[in-house]
Amino acid sequence: MLSKRDRVRLRQFGRRFGSRPKTCHCHSGDCISLADLEPGVEALITCNNDLKTIERGLYHGKRVMVQRNESGEPNLVVAVGDARYVLDRRVARMIRVRVV
Amino acid sequence: MSQDNPTIALAGNPNVGKTTLFNALTGSHQTVGNWPGVTVERKEGFFIHNGRCYEVIDLPGIYSLAAGSPDELVARNYLVQKKPDLVINIVDASNLERNLYLTLQLMELKVPLLIVFSMLDIAEQNGVEIDFDHLKSHLDCPIQPLTLCRRFDPSQLFQDIDACLAKAPVPISPRYDEVVEKHLHNLHNFLLQQRDDSAWPEAWRKLPLDWVALKLLERDPYFHAELPQAWFDPVDREIRGLEKHRNQAAATALADDRYGFIRGLVKDVVRHKTKPGATFSDRLDRVALSSLWGLPVFFAVMYLVFLLAVQASEPLIGWIENGLNWLLVDQWGALLRSWNIPGWLSYLLSNALGGGIATIATFIPPIFFIFLCLSLLEDSGYMARAAFIADRFMRRVGLPGKAFIPLLVGFGCTVPAIMATRTLESRRDRVFASLLTPFMSCGAKLPVYTYLGMLFFPGRADLAVFGLYFFGVVMGLLFALALKKTLFKTQPGNFVMELPPYHLPTINAIGMHTWHRLKDFILRAGKTILLVTVAVNILQALTLPVKGGQASVLELAGKLLTPLMKPMGIVAENWQATVALISGLFAKEAIVGTLQSLYPDPSVIPSAFGGSSSGIAFLIFVLLYSPCAASLAALNKEHGWRWSLFSFFYLTLLAWIVATVAYQILAFNRLSWLWLGLCALLVVAFGASLKLIGRKNAI
Repeated sequence: MLSKRDRVRLRQFGRRFGSRPKTCHCHSGDCISLADLEPGVEALITCNNDLKTIERGLYHGKRVMVQRNESGEPNLVVAVGDARYVLDRRVARMIRVRVV
Repeated sequence: MSQDNPTIALAGNPNVGKTTLFNALTGSHQTVGNWPGVTVERKEGFFIHNGRCYEVIDLPGIYSLAAGSPDELVARNYLVQKKPDLVINIVDASNLERNLYLTLQLMELKVPLLIVFSMLDIAEQNGVEIDFDHLKSHLDCPIQPLTLCRRFDPSQLFQDIDACLAKAPVPISPRYDEVVEKHLHNLHNFLLQQRDDSAWPEAWRKLPLDWVALKLLERDPYFHAELPQAWFDPVDREIRGLEKHRNQAAATALADDRYGFIRGLVKDVVRHKTKPGATFSDRLDRVALSSLWGLPVFFAVMYLVFLLAVQASEPLIGWIENGLNWLLVDQWGALLRSWNIPGWLSYLLSNALGGGIATIATFIPPIFFIFLCLSLLEDSGYMARAAFIADRFMRRVGLPGKAFIPLLVGFGCTVPAIMATRTLESRRDRVFASLLTPFMSCGAKLPVYTYLGMLFFPGRADLAVFGLYFFGVVMGLLFALALKKTLFKTQPGNFVMELPPYHLPTINAIGMHTWHRLKDFILRAGKTILLVTVAVNILQALTLPVKGGQASVLELAGKLLTPLMKPMGIVAENWQATVALISGLFAKEAIVGTLQSLYPDPSVIPSAFGGSSSGIAFLIFVLLYSPCAASLAALNKEHGWRWSLFSFFYLTLLAWIVATVAYQILAFNRLSWLWLGLCALLVVAFGASLKLIGRKNAI
């Protein structure tokens, strides 16, 4: 019998293996995390609760474009207006976006 | 308000040209120091206009006044406590939305404000057109567009500054969402009723009431820490009310509203002539950050930095050393002797003090070139890219990519490397990176490697030196992994960093930057190194009576400690090697000087060591043992004496273990099993003690 911790690990492994983008819980379902966007894709931010990134201009409704997002790398590069940011994948996962 | 000697603070986002304006205003009339209690750089200067002296403070580059980082806290505290007569907010015209976020927060603080727009040429290139008159009417405060990268005429700016100081413009406050305004109003009224209460915090007395209410609503930790117990419930009620309505944290709701205001403003005053496309920096980044070329470009740039620091400084070190030794030791000593002053005083003033100054001066060329290269990389915009590339492999050892920069500086000198950890955001990362800097062989270790490498491995000294540098990096990585598993178990700080556009750095800015860093190093580390060199010279000159003659204090200490070095191949007759290691605790290059003075004929050194195996063990010990006194002093200043002690004991123990293992394997005999077994036990004890410390003091 698997422990609760192992069950969570197994589920996470399954998610990664299937590489299905997680749907957003707080919106209608077509939102994905910023970390799941392909390079060159533009999107609108639909939910961001991280103050540090909001202060840098990644606020609700802002258009962003992922410039570099390679699996295995801990960061991604996003363009927000004329600014370019290196975002930690952990931070990018918390930002929900809708592809435009 | 001190109108006779007005104070002007420069505030703005990072990389907007704040320091360029500061340099243009103050010229050479500037000093660099630290803000009290924190390791954030403080720049202040003055300029004289129409017979009046204006004091200028360059606040750290910040994105907001939320006090989420030491920079933001320092800037905010200065603005609210010192109340400058005028705040010049530098706004990047090519990135208006994000820059106006700070402007809005300054407006909320009700400080007298003058807004200066920079980067107009980049905005123009990007097809951005700003209607400044329209913007001025909306913000209700003076605006001055400037192109700071060219030679600019400050006369218009001086006029604006004088006008603002004569009639301090207090800007309007932005309006929030209706519900936010309601809760702010309730909090404001509550605070108004409590204002005369004895419990009213002293720190809030000088602050605008609206701003205090705003900070309480944002759950600002510094304001909540001052909040009297009895006021918790009413304040919390308002915050919860807002959070329930907006379904998000109050601070993020307020930040979203600020951007709502800014968005409307920008829509009204900015016209995009062309559709924004790939910029020059984007095109360069396709190469500099690409999977294929990113790493080769990164290593090529780092190699160039290293090459320049070593190659260009090498002849200069020789000239400086010879020149200053001739002047301050030989000539100055001869002059002192001709005045018939006591021998000990002549020795102290010429050999100790003069020799000490000559030693410090030899540090200057490699450090100058390292700082020059770092300033070039920073000002051109490549440093941020280097941190991004380095993050890929730095993460594996538990550090963020930015930590690569202090480690790189460590190849020049450990002292500025420890100081360079200030750029890292969390304390964990700063301490962790500081503990790793001694593994990067500093410029002072290079003469030791070269001298002993040529003696022990004639003809293959280059390989030996390269091997030692490489071994240092490998040991640093292994030590980092051990620390990551024990003392620094938490994840490195979240990496959110702006990639500034590439631009050609100006000679003036590079010169200023390098000069300030070099001056800071000479004043801070130079004092310690000078004291230590004088002390070593005195200990070498002081003699005590022993059997069969006299012996210096250093010699006696060396003889006392030599038995401890026996497992790594240093025998009792080779006490000079132990003395050299003791003097190396004060300054690493002193190892060569000590060996030269104790072994006047260098050809006897290999035989005194008993072969190349003990030579290798000695070099490994030099590479890994405790950092020099100046570095320990820097570590103490930055992170406290505990980390200084930790670095001293753990690195010395690690050096002893590794050097002993190396010697016992290379000169294997029947006793080697015993020593190797003891080393294995020590490694286990080393790991266990780290784990034990980590359990109680993990960061």
